[in-house]
Amino acid sequence: MQILINGILLGAIYALLGVGMSMMFGIVKLTNLAHGEFIIMGAFGSTILSSALGINPILTLVVTVPVMFLLGMVLQSVLINRVMLRGAEPALLVTFGLSIILKDAMLLLFTADAQKIGVSYATASLNLGGISISVLNLVVFAISLITILVLTLFLRKTYMGRAIRATSDDTVAASLMGVSVKKTYGVAMGIAMATAAIAGLCVGMRWTFYPSSGGEYLLIAFGVVVIGGMGSIPGTLVAGLVFGLAQVIGGANYGMFISYIVLLVMLAVRPQGLFSK
Amino acid sequence: MKTKTLEASAHKQVRVFGGLPMLITAVVIVALLVILPLTGVLSSNTQRYLLKIFLYCCLGSMWNLMSGYTGMTSLGQQSFIGIAGYSLAVMTFTYGASYWAGFAVGGVLGAALALGLSVLLFRMRGMYFAIATWVVAEALKTFFTSWTFVKQGAGMTIKAKPYPSTTEIYMIALVLCVVSLVVIYLLLRSKIGLGLTAMRDDADAASSVGVNIFQSKLLCFVICGFFTALAGGVFYLNKGSIYPSGGFGINWTVSIVFIVIIGGIGTMGGPILGAIIYTVLEEMLASYPGYSNIILGLIAILVILFLPDGILGTLQKKFHFEILSQKRFSKE
Amino acid sequence: MSEPILKVEGVQAKYGDFVAVEEATLDVPQGIIVSVIGANGAGKSTLMDTIAGVHKPTAGTITFKGEDITGMPAEKVVLRGLSLVPQGSRCFIRMTVEDNLVMGSYPKAARAKVKDSLERVYELFPVLKEKRNDLSGSLSGGQRQMVAIGRALMTNPELVLFDEISLGLAPTIIKDIYARIKQISGEGMTVVLVEQDTKRAIKTGEISHVMLKGKVVLSGRSAELGEEEIKKAYFGL
Repeated sequence: MQILINGILLGAIYALLGVGMSMMFGIVKLTNLAHGEFIIMGAFGSTILSSALGINPILTLVVTVPVMFLLGMVLQSVLINRVMLRGAEPALLVTFGLSIILKDAMLLLFTADAQKIGVSYATASLNLGGISISVLNLVVFAISLITILVLTLFLRKTYMGRAIRATSDDTVAASLMGVSVKKTYGVAMGIAMATAAIAGLCVGMRWTFYPSSGGEYLLIAFGVVVIGGMGSIPGTLVAGLVFGLAQVIGGANYGMFISYIVLLVMLAVRPQGLFSK
Repeated sequence: MKTKTLEASAHKQVRVFGGLPMLITAVVIVALLVILPLTGVLSSNTQRYLLKIFLYCCLGSMWNLMSGYTGMTSLGQQSFIGIAGYSLAVMTFTYGASYWAGFAVGGVLGAALALGLSVLLFRMRGMYFAIATWVVAEALKTFFTSWTFVKQGAGMTIKAKPYPSTTEIYMIALVLCVVSLVVIYLLLRSKIGLGLTAMRDDADAASSVGVNIFQSKLLCFVICGFFTALAGGVFYLNKGSIYPSGGFGINWTVSIVFIVIIGGIGTMGGPILGAIIYTVLEEMLASYPGYSNIILGLIAILVILFLPDGILGTLQKKFHFEILSQKRFSKE
Repeated sequence: MSEPILKVEGVQAKYGDFVAVEEATLDVPQGIIVSVIGANGAGKSTLMDTIAGVHKPTAGTITFKGEDITGMPAEKVVLRGLSLVPQGSRCFIRMTVEDNLVMGSYPKAARAKVKDSLERVYELFPVLKEKRNDLSGSLSGGQRQMVAIGRALMTNPELVLFDEISLGLAPTIIKDIYARIKQISGEGMTVVLVEQDTKRAIKTGEISHVMLKGKVVLSGRSAELGEEEIKKAYFGL
């Protein structure tokens, strides 16, 4: 039971790590290898703001989310839309280039030191019938779920959200409805980066992180996308839980190794994901 | 549309630098590279640069064989390099064998890894393949970090008595580089290479060439694993020690991708030019620690945006010539 | 007779080096149904795509309601009141029927009327109301075609181009859909129908244009041209 709870708590943040990647994958058809660095950027943003202003780290989202959203829109419209005309491989390599640039830029700015976002309830825990639940993990769990819920509602209920889904189904038909595909891609990247900002906050609150941690989170995000099926938010959520559970069961030493093996087998056997047809 | 492009290229005069003149030039260059260090004209520092160029050239050419000719973009070359580095360390340190034995084990394991992975990886395409290769490397990294036999994260040193001189390692690297280039050249000129190039350009045409694509891809992957591992072994012989984070680090692939993109993907000469540029840049940027990857990344993105065929590829297109062409021309 | 709502003059369109439409010139008068007839590969679909802005022409001009829309991207053309029902319906298959229809109201001007437009489409195709919460990917071919038509109507168009909507459908369903199109036209909308079936085209369209190998080879009132002449032009006899 304890393992299950821990796995679920871990799974929600994994789903959050993957949700932005999944959007880019499913909608823009772009594998964004810089997504891990975006997450770490978000983590640094929240660290700096909360310590400089002395505010609750969660409040820093008011700044980091819009800033990252805008960055994403600009990045997509100035650079990535252009490279995507050359095909999927050049676009993949550009995001790869972007990831090494960002990693080293953060290394320069923030040194290689371990970082962590401090919160007053970091060590507090609840005891429910013999199961102990860390308050911090619960807060991170809630943030992750709320983010995914809001994103789902946005995609279901707003014109922009529908336009994003329509574009992912059929770009030509979407343009016939008056949707500018390039602008939609920009918004999708903006949203992906905004979720990375929130994921960064959660990562920073739960774990220590370094400027070089991006790759690790990228692969988790990718794993979630692959297991969940690209562009599917409910799939992402379930995949996050599966991935989180696998890791908790695998233990500290070989947990990640086992997760990677699961991922590889999934990739080979069902690359379209568990939850897509 | 296909016939159109064929016609268009037939109309343009493509000057191919190949055949006997190319062979003579190549032999002269290699001979010079062998003789110069023995006469003491090249300082050991210069030898160290050249040694790096040879190894990067081998690594880049192998990645190019995969990505540029068979459309398999790997982001996990560090798997082969790390395995080879650790083979060298384990053979020399744990078992007290010679470094030649270390290379041999590394090369065999590299080829075996490629063969084993092909079962999983060849079911994937494009970006799935790319990321899966990376996941393999990360899995190996976490495994080696926890494996007590290789001293976990503490790393291992490479032992040899006497430790080979820079000139000796230089010679090994040179031979490896030349052999790998010759192998790729012959492979691409063979029927297999023809089929692979056809597949890259047009999947339908490939089947008409009558080459078993799966076997050809597998052969390329195994050759790539073998030579990448050997180059990794020589690299670590030069370095002297290995850690899981470095040996299986993504930075290897960063360098390799940079080399091929800059030089020109899908050309024989591209990785050679790229390796020279990369090594020079690396040395120049060494005095600005921290900025080097930023600058390399920017250069790579700019090249992808504005010179999609790389430096050599763009020059070749502009002036209609080809160096080290693997194309076969019938006498017409 | 008033100025035609759509004028296509000397339009040429290519895919790479392949010329799909060599030279197309035709007028579409306001308020009636116009047929564009031609065999497979005559360039009908490419011409429709080019008019709607999905494909860029390499020569010629397209004028809609007096405004030059040559080479204008599709997302802007639709704002001006020209809508295309593309070949093969191209529904958003992972979205519900209602979400598909609501997508048609994406243009800002159409959003205010989304409720009324939706009601109108449901009146036209009651089966869609029944299936409003189903994924459009689960529908039959005819129903998907209805979704595509409904979606186009939601954009508040003055001119709708229907690109071979009868393709692969059962005769009874075709009959039903064509009756609806006549109904829409009766309400004042201008309609362009692309057809391979000459009989059906002549019966429905007041004016017919026949395309052959990328060119408009015959134009006139369907009744005056007669089936024989149209068939000759169709086969290039």
